[in-house]
Amino acid sequence: MTDTVNIQPGRSRLRAAFGYEERSAMIFLAPVMLVLMLVAVFPILYSLYLSFFRIKLTRPNRTPFVWLDNYTDLFGNELFWTSVARTVVFSVVSVSAIAVIALLVSLLLNQDFRFRRVLSTIILVPWAIPYVANALMWKWIYDSGYGALNGLLFQLDFISRYMVFLGDQNKTIYLIANAFVWKEVPLATILLLVSLKAIPSDLYAAARVDGATVWSRFVHVTLPAMKPGFLLVMIYETMMAIRHFDLFFILTEGGPGDASHVLSWHIYVETFRNLSFGSGAAMSYVLALVTFALSYIFIRTLGRRV
Amino acid sequence: MARIRFNNVEKKYANGFHAVQNLTLDIQDKEFLVLLGPSGCGKSTTLNMIAGLEDVSGGALLFDDELVNYTPPHKRDVAMVFQSYALYPHKSVFDNIAFGLQMRKVDRAEIDKRVREAAEKLEITHLLDRRPSQLSGGQRQRVALGRAMVREPSVFLMDEPLSNLDAALRISMRAEIKELHQSMQTTFVYVTHDQAEALTLADRIVVMKDGVVKQVGTPDDIYERPENTFVASFLGSPPINYIDGTLKFAGGGAQFLHEALALDLPEAITAKLSGQDGRKVRLGIRAEDVDEAAAGGPGATIHGKVNSVLPVGSDQFLGFDFYGNELFFRVGKDLAHKVGDDVSLSVDLNRLHLFDKDSGASLLW
Ligand SMILES: Nc1ncnc2c1ncn2[C@@H]1O[C@H](COP(=O)(O)OP(=O)(O)OP(=O)(O)O)[C@@H](O)[C@H]1O
Ligand SMILES: [Mg+2]
Repeated sequence: MTDTVNIQPGRSRLRAAFGYEERSAMIFLAPVMLVLMLVAVFPILYSLYLSFFRIKLTRPNRTPFVWLDNYTDLFGNELFWTSVARTVVFSVVSVSAIAVIALLVSLLLNQDFRFRRVLSTIILVPWAIPYVANALMWKWIYDSGYGALNGLLFQLDFISRYMVFLGDQNKTIYLIANAFVWKEVPLATILLLVSLKAIPSDLYAAARVDGATVWSRFVHVTLPAMKPGFLLVMIYETMMAIRHFDLFFILTEGGPGDASHVLSWHIYVETFRNLSFGSGAAMSYVLALVTFALSYIFIRTLGRRV
Repeated sequence: MARIRFNNVEKKYANGFHAVQNLTLDIQDKEFLVLLGPSGCGKSTTLNMIAGLEDVSGGALLFDDELVNYTPPHKRDVAMVFQSYALYPHKSVFDNIAFGLQMRKVDRAEIDKRVREAAEKLEITHLLDRRPSQLSGGQRQRVALGRAMVREPSVFLMDEPLSNLDAALRISMRAEIKELHQSMQTTFVYVTHDQAEALTLADRIVVMKDGVVKQVGTPDDIYERPENTFVASFLGSPPINYIDGTLKFAGGGAQFLHEALALDLPEAITAKLSGQDGRKVRLGIRAEDVDEAAAGGPGATIHGKVNSVLPVGSDQFLGFDFYGNELFFRVGKDLAHKVGDDVSLSVDLNRLHLFDKDSGASLLW
């Protein structure tokens, strides 16, 4: 009798483990998962695999397996550490500026005033501009020969002759950060505005009756309610800043000297200029892990009591 | 000590809407005053003006004879309980209750003492470390009350504080609020659209409609002696019944006449109607002011055909179709009636209400 019961043991075990809905879900999700495997999971694993080899396209036939050498070499490389430092400066400056400006703009847009709608629309414009177009625009603004910034400062008599802004080692990274901030503020503003709009007006009324000043109301009602929005902005913008490439590529190519030689630029140079795919892949892995670790820290610290 | 006076107060919102019109009202110290009225009549607006959350657009608002039109909320010594409770979501229950004291720089030991006292009174001591999101509706309500209590304000404002609770809890909280008023010995202004709440809690009720006060009086005044049809209709369940007819004086007495109904008005009522012979009036009979058992005389009986029977637990409501008027009466539930039965009910003549047919103003009060 027993041998007739388990004709298809595998199938019945599947049935036991998953209900009808789960099983149909698997079937419907399978095509998408397959595509995702091909375009995302495979490249991720393949680049991990590559990072264990010494691959130089100038020596296509000699690609020895070097285990973790690419990683250890990396940490001994002075330029790598320079690029890490540049990335940290760029990210910290950009993300703080984005957070502060977006906070102020969202507070402004949350007020009722006459041209609020028009202003909201205008403020969204940079968001709609692609990164490359944004970079080209700022290249023109900062241009030393016919740039808008030079023109403006000159006509206002702040400078007596045109300057090579991006040629200044000490300022380049901040000027690039400025261009990045300009592009990122709209989205950050929207994210914060959403949490502002969700605050019930009764809370402010209660706080007023409780004797809270404008500042106390901001600290005790507004800020706590914005915490989830802030968390999102910090994580998202940090990730964007750490990995940002377009502005460095178009404005300075890492220069002058190594003044804007950030990690993403370092990876690009290593991979596509030195044609060293193995160590490029290794660096990309480091960058990915750092990004992941940072967002984890953010969620743990900021997100604790959200 | 707080006596609140409205002198011809107006409220116009920025969009031009006239939410409160010419409000003149005197709220006594330690009084429990209830603002009652349908949705949108301006109750919250009035309360918010007392709190200082809304500006007064015209007239004078006085606390103890001192003009407070331009005094900000925190200088008015008022505490408020909101319909939504408005608890600070990220603060613990303790900090929610303590916040008003912290803002007033009361010292820590004192805050701690007052918060714990209030929590004990409200039986929420075990919840002090929780956050509002971890509380039930009834518990949140208590926290909101606690937050107002610890301030020991001279005016206690509440905007429909019970409307988000279930029916049983609402009734037990009514009793607690009444107790709270007795123990706090301060002025309470309480907004509700629930007549039962108003009748139970109030020392005096203000009935409002479309921004205008329709009557001010004790619960007894409001229920027994409504000054107009709006107030008469707003209180009572099922609502008061109206029959239009004329007054006729004959012999020493007066009668209410309708094509199928003649009621002999008692002396007490007739006395107030001199010179009103032939006047078109609207008769009001409260649903409970009839009796089936007692045999009324010919001048005290209403006949009709039952067209609905609605049992409501303790009693039942009988619906009549009476010459185009839909009447509802409350009778004992042991009376077995079916739809289609002819029924005679004797009317309690001393409790009749008479209103002017056109203006709706009472002819009696
Ligand atoms: N900020 C505002 N701007 C314009 N009109 C308003 C504003 N607030 C309230 N109103 C209007 O004023 C009227 C009275 O509002 P209020 O909130 O006082 O009513 P309420 O009696 O408390 O009603 P409810 O029982 O529904 O709470 C309503 O018609 C409302 O639409
Ligand atoms: Mg209201």
